[in-house]
Amino acid sequence: MKKHRINPDRCTACTSCIAQCPVTAATRKFRGPKMMGPALERMRLAQDDEDPSLDYCSNCKNCDISCPFGVPVSTLNMLARAKQYQKKNQRLRDNILSHGEKMAKLSSAIPGMAAATNFGMTIGRKSGLLDLIGISGKAPLPAYHANSFVKQFKKLKQQSFPDKVVFFPGCFINYNDPQVGLDFVAVMQKNNIEVIVDEDFVCCGSPLVVNGYLDEAHENAVKNTGLISKWIAESYPIITCCTSCGLMLKQEYQELFGLEAVQENARHMYDSMEFLALLQDEGRLNTDFSPVDAEYLYHAPCHLRAQGMGLPALEVLPLIPGLKIANADAGCCGISGNYGFKADKYDIAMAVGQNLFDTITEADVDTVVCDCGTCRLQITHGARVKTVHPVSLLRQAYRV
Amino acid sequence: MKNNDVIVVGGGLAGLFAAAVAAGQGRKVKVLAYGAGAMNIGGGIIDVLGYGNDARPLASPAAGLEQLPPEHPYRKIGKQALVAALTFFQQIALAEGYEYIGGIDQMQWLPTAAGTLKPTCLVPRTMQPAVLQQTDTVYVVGFDYLKDFYPHLVAGNLQKRFGRKKSFIPLTCTLNFTEGRDVSALDIARWLDTAAGQESFVQQLSGQVKPGSAVLAPPVLGTACSYALVENLEAVLGCRFLETAALPPAVTGLRLRTMLLRHLKKQGVSILEKALVISAVVNDGYCAGVMTDNFDRQRAYEGKAFILANGGLYGGGLSAEPGRIVEPVFGLPVAAPAAQEDWSNPQLFSDQKQLFAKLGIRVDEKMRPQTPEGATVLSNVHIVGRNLAGYDFCFEKSGNGVALASAYQAAMSL
Repeated sequence: MKKHRINPDRCTACTSCIAQCPVTAATRKFRGPKMMGPALERMRLAQDDEDPSLDYCSNCKNCDISCPFGVPVSTLNMLARAKQYQKKNQRLRDNILSHGEKMAKLSSAIPGMAAATNFGMTIGRKSGLLDLIGISGKAPLPAYHANSFVKQFKKLKQQSFPDKVVFFPGCFINYNDPQVGLDFVAVMQKNNIEVIVDEDFVCCGSPLVVNGYLDEAHENAVKNTGLISKWIAESYPIITCCTSCGLMLKQEYQELFGLEAVQENARHMYDSMEFLALLQDEGRLNTDFSPVDAEYLYHAPCHLRAQGMGLPALEVLPLIPGLKIANADAGCCGISGNYGFKADKYDIAMAVGQNLFDTITEADVDTVVCDCGTCRLQITHGARVKTVHPVSLLRQAYRV
Repeated sequence: MKNNDVIVVGGGLAGLFAAAVAAGQGRKVKVLAYGAGAMNIGGGIIDVLGYGNDARPLASPAAGLEQLPPEHPYRKIGKQALVAALTFFQQIALAEGYEYIGGIDQMQWLPTAAGTLKPTCLVPRTMQPAVLQQTDTVYVVGFDYLKDFYPHLVAGNLQKRFGRKKSFIPLTCTLNFTEGRDVSALDIARWLDTAAGQESFVQQLSGQVKPGSAVLAPPVLGTACSYALVENLEAVLGCRFLETAALPPAVTGLRLRTMLLRHLKKQGVSILEKALVISAVVNDGYCAGVMTDNFDRQRAYEGKAFILANGGLYGGGLSAEPGRIVEPVFGLPVAAPAAQEDWSNPQLFSDQKQLFAKLGIRVDEKMRPQTPEGATVLSNVHIVGRNLAGYDFCFEKSGNGVALASAYQAAMSL
């Protein structure tokens, strides 16, 4: 655990993070990652001081990516922000955005309720009710799916194989975009792997952390970590299709909560594309792909880039004959989880994403490939193109 | 993770340039970067050699090469490869629309944000000191919120330096920034990226600067790696624009980084971020792969050749411990006096090169690591940039020159 101890004194104030922070570039209201993180942390240790600028960090982690000394700048910001939020009443808006899982469970408890919630959101958007509580009516809020991934998964007839993996769907795939999860299962099946889903998994906690609900996130961390340990004891790898869930489960649980078991668990946890790239490296990937005659642009989520595994989707997808894919390499999309949904952050998020939107428009593609669910929402919203998770393209090429 | 010809460890100038040279030779290259590299905070100019061993300024970088001691990286690389490296760099820059001007037979004395002059070799078009020679009147433009650049100080010091032949006139441009944080040159460059910023800037200058003069500003002339903005300003105002060397975050360094990344992308070089290389798999002096470590696990990256460009003591390529210096990835020998007080000359501003700055890895002419006795230890590993022994970049003003030359020599020796 010592390796990941948070030490603001590792910061040499080199300003690399300031140069690379997309929020700093978009608004002067944010004093920048170095100042808000390591520099002021030394002061905060001595004296509590409220600073409205803390509110502006989007936790996109470009500061961590750019830091030459491994200072968890964004996590220092999140910890300080949580402390600041504890002292005042949390806004209803933050409560709602942090508890997508609770909201989704409520709306899926009664048949037809998801549709009603979505309808309610449309009304809220049109009537300005959302803006009233601080959620931007312009933001690309995701709709709830009528049937959650877990519900649909239970009805799937999988072929049984000795090789099994445990899938952590995460809230977005489970409640908003179950197709990605179903596509993942289909791709695993084509590779003679059976997928297990543990229904006891809870939200990874990422949306809770950014809004200061650290205690709840900690509870979720303990619960998920216990479940993951249990599966790992049975030698099953754990796989996510959501890069923010992956980052939280493997890394931020260590940084934020210092949970001992996570270090061992993380060794057996994979992003879906990394797992497939590893299969390919071992010569075990089923490459019986039908040709796909299409051209795509790929957007790498910041939370994937922060994981130090490169961009595995760009290793796997080119194996599909005919498929052309280029890296957009145009920085953060701006949404950063629920940051871009907030009324006071919407414009900043759109400004951050502008370079990516322009790059997409210039590339003249109609579909962008991206591993992250909220990035996909923002890209569709900002660049008016279709988006797809890489695993769905693989399923398409397998023709299943 | 497999099928790479070359693995470059480090994403600074030496690493990215080594990748560019190797890719130019048709090799498949992967860069393992940890952090965004010192170009973020460096000045984006290429110092090759500014001062001789006696601390006196050199007439040109080339003029100082011969007197360097045999352990100096330039002596191992040779003048021919140094020139080839700079030429290749300039070719890339030109092709990317961001030309670098200069050569080793000419010293360029670049104005700094303190109004002093520093010797350098290759500069972007916006930093050519020759512009100062071409006019009698130089306006030194500062910005009201920018604490890192005082036009009166800069103009006053330059006036002393140049004498009465020229007049240096300080001006202050108003930013009207409403939202509060300390303003850096990068903030102003972003403001000048916008049409509103450009309009306001032109409006404030147009009444004050006369055509045919030069305008000396901190590095704020846009973040884009392009001369479009400066060409536009020069056309509208009828004067030449010049940027000084200044404090980080470095706008000119960021432009250089953008330029190299753009070039590498076209060359098909993949850059893996947040990849901390901690160890290597070595058999009989041959490296089969390097290992990265992260929050989840270690990952192996195989290759036929490896270029270690991870930044010496400051970048993490070397690590100082009581009484010794350690190279953590390969465990390479770094000779250092056992008594730490012997590492430095106690006079901070002495006229001698500092030993701690010269400590590093000894190499052969192909940049492969050697023992203190001169035996090559690893056959397919090459050491470049700040990891190298034998030079004090700060004293000599040779940092980016050694980075480019050693990267070129290593990548051409694969």
